[in-house]
Amino acid sequence: MLTRELAIATFENGQLVPDRLSRKANAAYLGFADDMLEIYRKGVGRTRRSLHQAIHGVFSEQIDTPGRRIHAFCKLLDDVSEYAKEDRRKTVQLRQAVFREAAKYHPLVVQRDALFESQETEVKRRIAAEHGMDWPELHDRLFADLIENQELQSFKGFDDGIALLSRYNVAQTQVVLFDAVKMTVRATDDFKQILRYAKLARLMHRITKRSDHFRFEFDGPASVLRSTHRYGIAMARFLPGLLSCRGWSMEATLRATPYRPPIRFRLDDACGLVSNVNASSDFDSSVEESFSIEWGEQAREGWRLERETEILHRGQTAFFPDFVFVHEDGKRAMLEIVGFWTPEYLSYKAQLLKLFSDQPVLLAIAQSLKEKMPVTTEHPAIYYKNKIKLEAVLAMLESFRTRDYLK
Amino acid sequence: MNHTPGVGTKVLNQANLDFGDGTLVLDQWSAQAVCRIFGNGIWKWDGRTHSWRANAFHYPTIKKVLETNSYGTLDRVPQWQPIVWSSIRLPELRPEQTAAVNAWSDTRRGVVVMPTGTGKTEVALKIMADQACSTLIVAPIRDLMYQWHKRILNGLGYDAGIIGDNTFNVKPVSVTTFDSACIHMPKLGNRFQLLVFDECHHLPGPIRSDAARMSIAPMRLGLTATLERGDGRHTLLDELIGPLVYRLEISQVRGSSLAEFDIFRVPVFLNVRERVRYDQLAEVVSSYVYERRQDDPSFTWRALCAETQHSGQAGVVMRAYREKKSIEDRAEEKLRVVEDLFRLHHGTPMIIFAGSNAMARDVSRRFLIPCLLNHCGKAERIDYLDGLRDGVYPAIVANQVLDEGVDLPEVKIAVVIGGLASTRQAKQRLGRILRRRGNERAILYEVVAKDTNENGRSRQRRKSDAYAGTRNRNV
Repeated sequence: MLTRELAIATFENGQLVPDRLSRKANAAYLGFADDMLEIYRKGVGRTRRSLHQAIHGVFSEQIDTPGRRIHAFCKLLDDVSEYAKEDRRKTVQLRQAVFREAAKYHPLVVQRDALFESQETEVKRRIAAEHGMDWPELHDRLFADLIENQELQSFKGFDDGIALLSRYNVAQTQVVLFDAVKMTVRATDDFKQILRYAKLARLMHRITKRSDHFRFEFDGPASVLRSTHRYGIAMARFLPGLLSCRGWSMEATLRATPYRPPIRFRLDDACGLVSNVNASSDFDSSVEESFSIEWGEQAREGWRLERETEILHRGQTAFFPDFVFVHEDGKRAMLEIVGFWTPEYLSYKAQLLKLFSDQPVLLAIAQSLKEKMPVTTEHPAIYYKNKIKLEAVLAMLESFRTRDYLK
Repeated sequence: MNHTPGVGTKVLNQANLDFGDGTLVLDQWSAQAVCRIFGNGIWKWDGRTHSWRANAFHYPTIKKVLETNSYGTLDRVPQWQPIVWSSIRLPELRPEQTAAVNAWSDTRRGVVVMPTGTGKTEVALKIMADQACSTLIVAPIRDLMYQWHKRILNGLGYDAGIIGDNTFNVKPVSVTTFDSACIHMPKLGNRFQLLVFDECHHLPGPIRSDAARMSIAPMRLGLTATLERGDGRHTLLDELIGPLVYRLEISQVRGSSLAEFDIFRVPVFLNVRERVRYDQLAEVVSSYVYERRQDDPSFTWRALCAETQHSGQAGVVMRAYREKKSIEDRAEEKLRVVEDLFRLHHGTPMIIFAGSNAMARDVSRRFLIPCLLNHCGKAERIDYLDGLRDGVYPAIVANQVLDEGVDLPEVKIAVVIGGLASTRQAKQRLGRILRRRGNERAILYEVVAKDTNENGRSRQRRKSDAYAGTRNRNV
């Protein structure tokens, strides 16, 4: 993601418009993007400073390109790069040795005289020689551990210039959300996926079922107490997931900043922003992700993991279990993971599960929450430490089935 | 399920009081009951979790209400414990330190304002020793966090936990930074009974103040040398920490608890190459601002900063401005003055304050003296600071890292070669060399590029009471 310092946005007709490069209005950028990718692809072994200078070079003729935009490209390219971790210890040791040695000659003076005879260049030459180099080399090595001196090791890159520009556009929109205190999403399709991404980004939700759509309100625990943009970063993290879904419109409430009043920011699925969500890199590694990856595509003992989750209603209340399993005989069962939520959420979850006590929901509860999760007799539970064991889930699913609990 | 809970419940169920995500959570009670017992304002209904929610820092108030009336509540909130200090070795407090401890102990909530070098840490350690409870120390930066760790180990014989700098080791007594405290308080807010905010003027801020809001700690101590903030936000400290309970002015202790000091201002001139470039750049900046003011008399510097987002030309102006500042900051002549000061005070440990990392590195490479920047690792910093004390290194150069709090009692001579206009930074930097040791006088040199904006910044700094009576000196 970008940082606040790299944000570019304008007011147009009372609307906040994040910087956006389009193929029509900014046709030249396709060429720039390709050039930038080329620099990084061929840049293995170059220092971060020299790569950034080269990126600035791409825009040398473009007097109208704001510096922030160029810095933003550098950041996005660096985000998918790996730089060699300079052996810091060696550099620190070199520095300490040099400074200790030089302390004997302090102060290094330009003109030697009767009182102070340590002439600067002479001492430097001598100290450098002790380390087997000349002064210009020692000069450069002395702070080799600075981040801008790191060398590019590999560039995992973007497929093409268009992908880089798409990422840039999404990234500028994400920064806008850093100031968001609340986000409301109206969803007609993909609502389960939307909620799932929101949960992965650790947002809390409020769901209302309307005649033809769901209305989700996303914010965080402290949001009921005060207006806070504490959870804005989580909303920014959620955005790429949302963009990959269909049938939604979003409105975020942004706090006032020294530069503008509080304002609403709107987007919908026709906004043209494109994002390829990569769940494993965009979200904190989660128990859910590793469970679904480990399960894989295949059927296990007749059970298959569904891509789309089930949605259960009781009036205004909706419940989206984390996973749905379908047996080859057509029976269905659900798995709900109780991992990162807090005590009050757990008691809410317990109440919620009570509402759906007639449903075959298996609970996987983090060992650390064992004491805290109110006991539910309605649903069987397994406990996990770091990951959910497939065997434990399969055993439970089987006992569900044999007890003829499943419809 | 998104309705508010039913009203009219006659008998109160036992309610559970919990801590979750940096807030307090209460369930089972009706809106009527909550309103009758607590009045309006503290609790808010959270339809998402079907419970009542309150800011964690209201815990002492809530607890008092629940205790004075015998409602059935199960309080599962505090996770703290009494502490037994294995060995207390604290120095005898000076009268003004004792006064500060007493003033705070009356309310056990509040801010103590004392100039740097008058022993704020000792005041806090005494309070910690007295209260002997789970305590979290919140310091502005990592160095200070480690320094607190060391002071607690030496003074109270306790190896405190460290939260921050890629470490998450929570113990009943822990040290952390403002940023880590704000990030982790949703998980830690119920673990500490006493919070100590060092340099607490950093606390106000929309997100950062969560470090105080999301904690239930009934006892809070704020320490600072410079309470007042330019943005007026310091008034928030009253709610976040407590009232101002003690204030000691620098003039009250000059020469007694603090060393006597002199401030000298050393003007330097840009060399011909620097001067020509400086004037060119100044022309770029001022003609742009002049032109814009023709259209819009209210055009401000801030507006220019905003314009650089979109306008390449504003960007050029901004770059000119930055280069101009960099010329002031890195004027070659300054290095000559530093050499002369090194000659003048040969054999005395010195510290050089630079205005930027680049200048700090310039000085470090020119004189081959250690350079303390924020990317230095812990071991390296300690080596430099201890080395300066033990005479291994004759001098060190730093940028803002050393502005606040890091103790350098042996250093009596500081040279400021660049920095901000703020009087706070000036006071803090002066404070580094004012810790009293014997009867040595402290000297602060300010090296200022003449006929540049730096002059103005220096004049601004001297508005601080401590800087009164600055003398000009040509070295």
